[in-house]
This record gives sequence, C-alpha cells and structure tokens, in this order.
Amino acid sequence: MTRRNIRILTLTIATLFLAGTAFAQINDPGVRSTTGVNAGQPLASVSANPADLAFFNAGLGQFNEQQTVTGDNPGLGPRFNLDGCGGCHSQPAPGGTSPSANIFPNVGPNPQSQAIANGLVSSSTNTIPSFVTATGPVREARFPFFFNANGTANVNNPNGGVEDLFTVSGRADAGTCSLTQPGFAAAQAANNLIFRIPTPVFGSGLMSNIDDSTLLKNQAAQAGNAFGVAGAFNRNGNDGTISRFGWKAQNKSLLLFAGEAYNVEMGITNEIFMQDRPLPGEDGAGGTGQTGLPANCLNLAKIGYPEDITHSNGTDASSSASDITLFKVFMEDLAPPTPSTTVPGGSTSISRGRTLFSSVGCAVCHTPSLTTQPSHLTAGLGNATANLFSDLEVHHMGTGLADNVSQGGAGGDQFRTAPLWGLGQRIFFLHDGRTNNLVTAINAHGSNGSEANASLNAAAALSLTDQQNLINFLRSL
Amino acid sequence: MKSRCSGSLIAICVLASFTAWGQRIQPAQDIPSQNPRAQNAPAQNAPVQSGSSVNGGDFSTITEPTSEGIVPKDTIIVKGAWSSASDSTTSLPEAASLTNNVFTDEYFGITYPLPSGWFQKFTPPPPSDSGRYVLAQLGRSGSFQLGQSDSSGSIMFAAQDMFFTPLPAANARQFVSYSRNHLPDYYQVELKPTQTTVGGQPFMFFAYWSPDAELHWYVLATQIRCHTVEIVLMNRDPKAMEELVRDMSNKMKLPAEASLTGGTGGGSVPVCIKDYAAGENVLERVEPVLTQQRHNAIPVRIIIDKQGQVRHMHFLSAYPEQQKVISDALKQWKFRPYERNGQRLEVETGIMFGAAPPAVLATDRTTD
Ligand code: HEC
Ligand code: HEC
Repeated sequence: MTRRNIRILTLTIATLFLAGTAFAQINDPGVRSTTGVNAGQPLASVSANPADLAFFNAGLGQFNEQQTVTGDNPGLGPRFNLDGCGGCHSQPAPGGTSPSANIFPNVGPNPQSQAIANGLVSSSTNTIPSFVTATGPVREARFPFFFNANGTANVNNPNGGVEDLFTVSGRADAGTCSLTQPGFAAAQAANNLIFRIPTPVFGSGLMSNIDDSTLLKNQAAQAGNAFGVAGAFNRNGNDGTISRFGWKAQNKSLLLFAGEAYNVEMGITNEIFMQDRPLPGEDGAGGTGQTGLPANCLNLAKIGYPEDITHSNGTDASSSASDITLFKVFMEDLAPPTPSTTVPGGSTSISRGRTLFSSVGCAVCHTPSLTTQPSHLTAGLGNATANLFSDLEVHHMGTGLADNVSQGGAGGDQFRTAPLWGLGQRIFFLHDGRTNNLVTAINAHGSNGSEANASLNAAAALSLTDQQNLINFLRSL
Repeated sequence: MKSRCSGSLIAICVLASFTAWGQRIQPAQDIPSQNPRAQNAPAQNAPVQSGSSVNGGDFSTITEPTSEGIVPKDTIIVKGAWSSASDSTTSLPEAASLTNNVFTDEYFGITYPLPSGWFQKFTPPPPSDSGRYVLAQLGRSGSFQLGQSDSSGSIMFAAQDMFFTPLPAANARQFVSYSRNHLPDYYQVELKPTQTTVGGQPFMFFAYWSPDAELHWYVLATQIRCHTVEIVLMNRDPKAMEELVRDMSNKMKLPAEASLTGGTGGGSVPVCIKDYAAGENVLERVEPVLTQQRHNAIPVRIIIDKQGQVRHMHFLSAYPEQQKVISDALKQWKFRPYERNGQRLEVETGIMFGAAPPAVLATDRTTD
C-alpha cells in the first residue's frame, strides 16, 4: 500500500466513523416527565359548570370501571380484550393510550399481560399471547386474511376483524361457556397477524365537532403541494359524511366508537351493538360454516340484552345515562393535552422545530389546526381552534406500514394522519406500536408507495441540529 | 353501569367501582420476565383440556406453515381505491420506469438519463382521486432517513391530470401561478414564475426557499397530453440544482407538444379534450349503478377511437367493484367521433364518476 492510499483509507475510515456517529447526534428525548401530566383534564367550560363537571366525573368513573361477567358491573365477554376502557387508555392519564410501569408517570404494566395474574381470565383456559408483554404496548390483534381449511392463510379471502385475546371460559361467573382463544401462534407463524394500539381520546370532542366543509377546504388548500401528497377521506357508508376516529378514520362519532369498543373490546352489548360479538369466522363469515357463539355462552350476565341500557329509574343525567353515553361525555369533554413551550430543548428549539415541521411538508398531512363548528354541548367545543396536527384524511403510507386491513373506504396501506397532540407524553408510536422512538416513527414514513416519502426526504435534508429541533418540537406537544 | 346500584346494593356498588386501575397494578419489580418467549412460549395456545370447548372463529393450528401458507411481507394485498386499466398495452402516466438509470415515461414521451448516482429508493404512491401523480422520486444518498443530514437533495417527477384537477388552473402556466400565489408564508420566493426551456420545450420555472430549513425548491412545469408535468428539485445548495437543470436541459427528451398552455396531444398520441364526454358528443350512454362504495370520486380517463367507441379506460382511483361496473357501462357508450380538418382522430378525455370532490373556489382563480 502506498502512502497516498493509506491516507485515503484513513480518510475513508474517518468519514465512516463520522457517518456512524451521526445517528447519535439526534435523539428522542423521550416522554416529557418534567412538566407533570399534561392531559386528562376536562375542558374549562366543563369545569365551570357543576352539572357538566358531575357528568364528566361520572363518565370518568365509568371509563375506569372494571366489568365482570355477572354482578353489579355485568356483561363482560364471552370474548374480550380487557375489562375496562381505562386499562387500555391510560397513559399519561385516563383517556390516553398504552401505559408502562417504568416510564413516566409509571401508570403500570400492560394490563393485558396481567390478565391471569389478576384473575381476570382463567389460566386453565387462557394463555397470554406471546405478543402481549408487561412492558407493552396494549394490543388489539387482527388476522388480515381467513385461513384455508388446510390451515394456510388465504390471501384471496380478507378478514381483518378484531380477534379478541381472551375468553371468559373457566371464570367462576362464566357457567359452562367454553371457548378457545384464536390461534395466535399459528397466525403469527403465517405472518397473518397485525396489531393496533389504543389511540388517545384527549381533545376528541373537538375532533368530532369539525365540520366536513372545514376538512374539505383544508384538503383543497393542500392541492398542488410540492410533496406529492394527495389524501382522501374515509366516508361513512350510509350517508357519505366524513368519518374520523380510529387508525383508519373508520368511525364517525365518539358514541359509535364507545358502543363498538364496549362490544368488541369488552364483550358488553349496548343500545347500538345489541348482540354479543363472535369472532370473525365464528359468525360464518369467510366461509367457515359456523353459526355464531354457542348458546351456553350467550346471556351470561342473565339480564337479557343489551347488557348496558339507558335507565328509566335514574334520578339525574348520569344515573339515567347508559354507560356508552357516559363514555362519550367523558371523552368529548376531555381537553386537548397542553403542550410545553420550553421542554424539551428550550423555547427557541421548539419554535424553530414548529416552523421546520411545516417547511419540510409534515404539515401538509399533519394540519396544525382546524376550527370547530358551534357547539350545543359545551362552550369549549364551539368555534374553537383544535391544534390536532391532522387533516383527518387517510393517506397511502406504503408497504412498510401497510397492514392489509381494509376498514370502510380505507385500504390496507391507508391510515388516518395520526393527530400529534399529546405526542410528548406518548410511549408507543404508529398503529401497531412498533416503536417507542420518535425518530424511528418518522423514518417509518418512508417506504414503497408512501405519500410521505418526499416530506421525509426534505426532513432528512435538514441539518442535524434542525432535525433535533423538529424532534424537540414534537416532544413538546 | 350506574343506576343498577340501587337500595341495599349501593354499598357493594361503591366498593366495586373503587377497584380502580391503579389497584391491580403490580409494583414494577414484580413484572415477570420481559422476554415474551421466555414468559409465555411454553403455554402458548396450549390445547384446552375441556373436551366440549368450542374452537370458534377463523383458525389455524399450524405453527410452522410451508412458504405458501405465509402472507408475503411488505406487500399491499388488500387495496382500497386504486388505479387500474382496461388493457395492458396502452401506456399509463404512472407507469414510469427507471431502466439502466434512464427515467422513461412512455405515456408522456419523456426520457431522461439520470446523472450518475441518482436512484429511486422508494416507489411512489398510486395516483390520487384528484388526478395527482407522483411519477418518480429520486435521491442520491442511501439514507432518506433522519439521523444523517442528507445534503444530496431530491428530484421528483409529478403530474396533475387537468381533466380532474380541483385547482382553478387550466394549464401548466396557471398551475404554476396558482402554486406561487398560494405559497405558504414560511417560504420565500427566489424566482417568480418565469418561462424557460428544458429539452428544447417551454417550461415554467419557479423557485422558492425556506430560510429556516435552509432548503431550496425549484419547480419546472410544462403541459403534455392535458397534464401539467412537474419536476420538483429540492436541495440545500441551489448551485447543485442549477447544474441539474442544465443537465436536464441538455439531456431530457420531451414530445413536441409540450408547452405552457397547449399540450393537448395529437400526432402519434390521441388529441386530449377536457369534458369531451358531455352533451351532444355522447350519442349513447348507460349509467353505471354503484352498489357498494358510492361516496368517493372515481376519475376515469378514456380514449375514444375513430368510430366513437371507448378503446381504453384508465381508472385513476376506483374500488374493484366500481372498476367493473363502470367499465361494463362505458363499453356501451357511443360517442360522436372527433374530427379535425375533416379527419377523424382518437380523442382522450376524462369522466368523473361517483361523488366528485368540490373544486377549489373559483374566486381563487389565477390568471396567467
Ligand atoms: C383492549 C384495549 C382497549 C379497550 C379495553 C378499549 N379500547 Fe379504545 N381503543 C383501543 C384500540 C386498539 C384503538 C384503536 C383501534 C383502531 O383504530 O384500530 C382504540 C381506539 C379508541 C377510540 C378512537 C379514538 C381516535 O381518535 O381514534 C375511542 C373513541 C375509544 N377507543 C374509546 C374506547 C372506549 C369508550 C372504551 C371502553 C368502552 C375503549 N375504548 C376500550 C383499545 C382499547
Ligand atoms: C402523507 C401524509 C403524511 C406526511 C407527509 C407525514 N405524516 Fe406523519 N403520519 C401520517 C400517518 C398516516 C401516520 C399514521 C401511520 C401509522 O400509524 O401507520 C403518521 C404518524 C406520525 C407519527 C406517529 C404518531 C402516532 O400516533 O404514533 C409521527 C410522530 C409523525 N407522523 C410525524 C411526522 C413528521 C415529523 C413528518 C414530516 C417529516 C410527517 N409525520 C409527515 C401521515 C403523514
């Protein structure tokens, strides 16, 4: 080797070294813990009105209540993912998302991982699926495709429905109902298993109160953007209006989501979901030939259907209201999270990051704010600025994020622009909670077929200092 | 549950509702092994002992499937509204290719041999229901990821179908002035829309930058076959972009029709006319009856042959059922053949089915 070659080699090594360390120069500061818990409070207009506040608190109580099969909080199962809304929606406060015992504010381990330890399910009939761990995230599982009779995944027969993790079988209050859990290990081996983590509901009352015309105008205002972004709305099948809740904007309203979650996540029938829900396939869908849940697994609460009702003997709003109404009231009255102006990184970094977020095209999808329509519910919801950082459109996010589940008008690669408010105190990111690193979550925007590729390219062209400013801004939310 | 707690039950109810989440949470040190396999693998889906148990739902018990049983990774199988065409021989705008480092879009008649080092890391998204295409997105570094400052910039080839554009712009010139007039305030114009030449054809050229991000954008646009074709360059260093523009100017091949306000096909490709499939031009028409999805916009670009029959259909964005129902209907439509100077010509136009998106307000109209 000549001396010149050695010099070049040394230079190359030095460059490689620099490139290698470059990654270390930007980092996700993690959950914002120094500013207290910045979410979970009712809107100021709710706090100011004693009757509204009482209604909100009753909703909060119901949201955190744990249901059982029979007894005073009846209706759980026969299939379910957990026994209360507040178990899954808990970080950093009730209404939020997947918790952790080790990360501020240390809400607790993934409650699904404790289902046997806590006696929620029987260990003789249930196992904790391998993908449910104490460190989280809380998971909802779906099989994108039905299986063939020979046990192989059939990509021509889409399924996509929620596969509840647990059954009530073996519980003292479940009688003779004997159900098995879905075949998660086999589905995982066939790569026919996808996850969803809970979306937080802070500020959801504002989101539900944005008029369709506001969303359409915002979409039109982005037309012709230089990032190649052009999204669509997921529309409600019957009336064609814009739906907006869930990872694919598959649900129209909070009441609908509450009813569906009570039914799907917890197995509790209610006034808008009147029947106990069988698994996909158990209902005969996909050509399985089955005809629903067995008779000895129905009406386990022995009170008839629906298990949750509006009470004719109530004495005030909250004692008359159905549970799903209480959930709705609680969720819609939750104020959006309060961003920090100084943490992390200081106010200069955060405000610079905010501008960069727009300059590199993130804001084409993550619309910083939208204005709500007048509200009959509470003053705080009307003509208000919702700083949600979402256009509530669904976008093609490419092969890297696609989950091959179609919901309403959204295809297997389309997702609602995730609202980013409250991001600073979130632990898990993306629809399946695949990462707790904000940098990884942003990099996942790039893959074959993603509308966000050009925006990610622009963000990657920022100086490392400015990339850090962008991350700091996001963690300030 | 609330008012079922009445009379003597109240005490129990209060107790029950106090079982809040916090109480069943174990202290952190009690958390069992955090390795999912170690924790649960042995018991995973162990067969339930009870002989009467019901194996409900959609099941497999095969935990080591053969390769045919495995859903392919990184593949979009379940598609929503997507693009498709009635035949595989007629070229499509989105079917750009990069072979031997030459960017080719047969539909638009564009070729450009990329300077060395440029490649496409990720393929673009499908066309949108507003007629927006990303044809290619090129970069030079391998990263496109945060964590490494990538100063190599990018080139995006994009197009807007002017049959379906929601913008109040009829051609490339107006499209660019619309972009300039609606440039968000965090950008600053560096060069107001100006006419230039690329590959011997007229283009609009417009440049802006973000003083905060220290990034520059160059937008070059021309009109071909009733589409505004855009080349968007992004870089930290405007000099690098100037070099690229020079390179494109020398090496890019474009069709002779490419122009700022013309670009309406003809010659070896069909003539394109917006809204040709309307009024007296339609001699026979069969309405498609959509049964499942009905609320989305379904832009369909068609080529009408010299006999007035639909020869080619391109669905920019449609659900499979819509694609079938609309193509069954369109095959039965009959048009007045298009004539120019006594000669019959093939004509290309667009029809919007489904629920058309509202156009951007006409008060926003921009003129040249
Ligand atoms: C087993 C965990 C779990 C339980 C229990 C649960 N959820 Fe959820 N929740 C989720 C998941 C996962 C999602 C995201 C679903 C999706 O879009 O795929 C979600 C989403 C939501 C959303 C949508 C918010 C948005 O903006 O997208 C609402 C509203 C909601 N849940 C309300 C409730 C209510 C009310 C209850 C109690 C009746 C409840 N959830 C119980 C896991 C849970
Ligand atoms: C094409 C639209 C689009 C663009 C552009 C875009 N995003 Fe997103 N973003 C999404 C969608 C859709 C999701 C949800 C994806 C999923 O969960 O699979 C998301 C999710 C996220 C998340 C995770 C949020 C959560 O709830 O887990 C972060 C953080 C984020 N985006 C930041 C950014 C940043 C920073 C940029 C700019 C570099 C950006 N996004 C550009 C559409 C976009």
